[in-house]
Amino acid sequence: MIKTSKVTKSVTTSEGTLEILHPISFEVKSGESVAIIGASGSGKSTLLGLLAGLDEVSQGEIHLDGEPLHTMDEEARAVLRGQKVGFIFQSFMLVQSLTAIENVMLPAEIAGLDNPKQMATKILEQVGIGHRASHYPNQLSGGEQQRVAIARAFITSPKILFADEPTGNLDATNSHKVEDLLFALNREKGTTLVLVTHDNKLADKCDRQLTMQAGELTESTVLSAIKRTEAV
Amino acid sequence: MSTTSTLAWRLFRHEAKRGELTIILLAIVLSVGAVLSLSLFSERLQGALKERSAAFIAADAQLRSDTPIDEAWLQHARDGGLNTAKQVTTRSMVFHRDEMSLVDLRAVNENYPLKGTVNTTDVPFGQKEAARDLPKPGEVWLQSLLFQTLKLSLGDSIEIGDAEFTVTKVLVDIPDAGFSVFNTDPIALIRLSDLDATAITGPGSRARYVGYFEGESSAISTFYDWLTPSLNDDLHNWRTVEDDESAIGRSVASAERYFLLASLLAIVLAAVSIAVAAQRYSQRHFDPVAIMKTLGATKQVIRRIYLLQILFITGLGIIIGLIMGFIGQQIVVWLVAEQVDVALTIWHWRPVLIAVFTGATCSLLFSLYPLMQLFSIPPLRVLRRDLSTNLRSRTIQYVASGGAIFLLMWIYSQDLMISLILFGSGVVLVAGLLGATFLLIAAGRKFGSGKMGPWQLAWARIKRRSMENSVQLISFSVTIMLLLVVLVMRNDMVSQWRSQLPEGTPNYFLINITGDQKTELDTHFKSNGITIEEFYPVIRGRFVAVNDDSVNTEVSKEDDSNTEGRQGLGREANLTWSNSLQKENEIISGTWHGDNTDALEEDVFAVSVETDVGERLGIELGDMLTFNVGSEIVITKVTSFRKVNWQTMQPNFFFVIQPEAMASFNPTYITSFYLPEAQKSQLTTLLKPFASITMFDVDARINQLRDIVNQVSVAIEFILVLVLVAGSLVLIAQVQASMDERRQELAILRTLGAKGSLIRKSVVFEFLIIGVVAGFMAALANELSLYMLQTNVFQMTASLHFEYWVIAPIVGAIVVGALGAIGCWRLLTLNTSALLRKMV
Repeated sequence: MIKTSKVTKSVTTSEGTLEILHPISFEVKSGESVAIIGASGSGKSTLLGLLAGLDEVSQGEIHLDGEPLHTMDEEARAVLRGQKVGFIFQSFMLVQSLTAIENVMLPAEIAGLDNPKQMATKILEQVGIGHRASHYPNQLSGGEQQRVAIARAFITSPKILFADEPTGNLDATNSHKVEDLLFALNREKGTTLVLVTHDNKLADKCDRQLTMQAGELTESTVLSAIKRTEAV
Repeated sequence: MSTTSTLAWRLFRHEAKRGELTIILLAIVLSVGAVLSLSLFSERLQGALKERSAAFIAADAQLRSDTPIDEAWLQHARDGGLNTAKQVTTRSMVFHRDEMSLVDLRAVNENYPLKGTVNTTDVPFGQKEAARDLPKPGEVWLQSLLFQTLKLSLGDSIEIGDAEFTVTKVLVDIPDAGFSVFNTDPIALIRLSDLDATAITGPGSRARYVGYFEGESSAISTFYDWLTPSLNDDLHNWRTVEDDESAIGRSVASAERYFLLASLLAIVLAAVSIAVAAQRYSQRHFDPVAIMKTLGATKQVIRRIYLLQILFITGLGIIIGLIMGFIGQQIVVWLVAEQVDVALTIWHWRPVLIAVFTGATCSLLFSLYPLMQLFSIPPLRVLRRDLSTNLRSRTIQYVASGGAIFLLMWIYSQDLMISLILFGSGVVLVAGLLGATFLLIAAGRKFGSGKMGPWQLAWARIKRRSMENSVQLISFSVTIMLLLVVLVMRNDMVSQWRSQLPEGTPNYFLINITGDQKTELDTHFKSNGITIEEFYPVIRGRFVAVNDDSVNTEVSKEDDSNTEGRQGLGREANLTWSNSLQKENEIISGTWHGDNTDALEEDVFAVSVETDVGERLGIELGDMLTFNVGSEIVITKVTSFRKVNWQTMQPNFFFVIQPEAMASFNPTYITSFYLPEAQKSQLTTLLKPFASITMFDVDARINQLRDIVNQVSVAIEFILVLVLVAGSLVLIAQVQASMDERRQELAILRTLGAKGSLIRKSVVFEFLIIGVVAGFMAALANELSLYMLQTNVFQMTASLHFEYWVIAPIVGAIVVGALGAIGCWRLLTLNTSALLRKMV
């Protein structure tokens, strides 16, 4: 589903070129769940941005569901994101001036799908906040907001879901609820999941962990089914 | 509806409901409302003023001609929807028994006057009232003075040429009598149909023919365009209300320019507020755009969503603005109804179009750069919140905003000069302010360190937010400068108008005073509590030759046969002599003989000639002019030309001669005095002992003039208030916008345990510093704009206004500081968690 080959990212500063990501190559299979872990500043989010087509690689290749992301311009990448990618963020990233249901409808509308409202209503029910559909984000708790974000991420049934610290802003109880929901939906829809996290327990729920250190991919651990079951 | 329109509409609806569009909507409403109310009010006021000015030419346009006006022309005008009237004017002698007098004869047809009124009274020098009709055929109406000189009573008969008329009313004035006090004979008004019977307008007579036209200005322009090819500059003279060069015409014209200026400034204010609001609007949408892009929205989709949003906001803003503007001006009209005449037509399309155009242009062009910033927000912002626009060049912003302001100014004023001046001063101000910002940053570096007190916090913030503060400083300064320009311009203009006609301006003139009567007259008036002005010597002289060329000297129809030779004055001139230049007289070439120490040759004396008459008679500097005074000949040399302000209510002269030339003559004197309205009844008593002295009444004229000046002043005051209100709202919007940006910092300071008083004081101090600098810079820029405006546009004497160099910074600091305190107080009433929540 995702294939990267010698991907690097560097930025130009006043003191010269700074390499944030050193050549990175790995593959993520369809339906697989992968956690990218590492210390702050290790390059996890940069990698996620590149994999999701939010940013451009400096060198190397990324193929997303067979599409060469590295050759596409921002417009083409946006279209691709709309068709195949879902997102969940640490700070929820809901549009404050739209209600919960309208936030959920947004990707479906952008993708031009039929009946976005019915789809959104259904999925909001599924994540357990159908009764708060007409509330604005600032009227919802953190856990509720993240559930809206999850509903938004799944409404278009994306092939790949990227999550950036999805429970980073939540308390323990809400974290568990959101994690459970995320993995349940992921399994149900057969989505490929790539998530960035500090949370080892969350990472343990994934099929595989990629460890980042100072811009380099240092380790790729495949977790046993037993461990994953324990984590779940 | 397409997805993008649905999304745009949904965002618009929710944001409007949640009050998130308030600032930008308010800015557009403010700009449209201010421009509409100002222009609508000034249009209505100008309509009324024009109507009044029209009364001074008895029509909307006049065609004056030396030959009878072709009836076909008048018919064409009527066919084009205009009303027409006719007048023939000439000078003629009138006789009553043994008395005779020269009169300014006006023969008018039944439609006269098309504008204004003919005023009459039942007793000479009595209270005037508007006449409902005109003299009937065979009747004449005469001005008061003629009753004195001809020893007439109502019902008596007089002879004009071959015809006899019955005097049926005392004429007070006619609309287009003209303002000249000294060189006019009293008016006699008859019907045009009676003119032939007098037989005084034969070939070669000095009759002038006037055609009057009234109607829509477009119809008048069309008629004039049609007529122009048939006109001959030597014979015809076309005048409209706009060409009115009288004091009233000029007051109205400068008032119009002031309204224009005020409206232009309102446009700039509106533009500034929209620019600030659009910037804020764009910043608030960075996140939604990044989210939508992440979710797959292409740039084109984003572009369409936000352009539609701006269109919705603009549309709504324009509609509310039009309603508010209309209500606003209606309130002003209602408030000033007592003091000011306004046109009854309450709807004019031009102001509405201008207001809509201003709102649309400002909001679209000023949103352009912020929107471009918005479109270029990278989707990666969802992961890296510090990322904002990658748009680096601000050229497009400067070109779009500068271009929008200049375009609006130019289109609106249709006056390149006024637009360039205001725009130029604005650019200089902005450049100066950028410099000032650097100084502030340097000061911030110096004062912003050390123990954290409110002052240090304020300076530190000024340094850190240098970019935002420079924008804010510029918008504050521009706003204050515009308010200063409107305020100071109004003060200067009104005081200049008032000084033209101060209280106590002489309203009566006395002529034919002999040398012996001077002292007696003075004493008699003083004993009645009335002060007499200066006595000017006057002698009637006939202007007979320029160098060796003799000139026509005919005064009446008896001399009609003599039409050969150089053109003369057509009548005797009133000669005076003095070494001191009269008030409102200005030497435009040569040297005033009072100042000239070089002696002329023996028996040659200097004369100063009024420039227009000099031009008309073809006189040049150094020419020798010969006058016949009685049986004597006076030879003078032209040593200067004078520009005379004929609108001042004082005797003015074509020729002022060196006193030595006239030493041997026995002149009469002319003087003037001021008689308050309440003492008018004393006139007869005052003049009784001096039967030979004649009196001119200019009271009515002065009152008319003063009335208009007062009206315009009151109107301007209201315009000033409107602009001040608009300006204050803009300031509030600016503080509000910047308060929003400070929210995050306040939240952090609050979270870290900073006391409310420390935060409040630091914000107030910060605004105080910005207010002082903005006020001072505005005062400097104000001087520059005023100098340029007064010298180039208003033809006024420019002066410096040092008081505002102190007042502006103080007021700037107080107002901006207070607004900052209020804004800050609102934020501090929220608890820390609410503040933090608002940050998200």
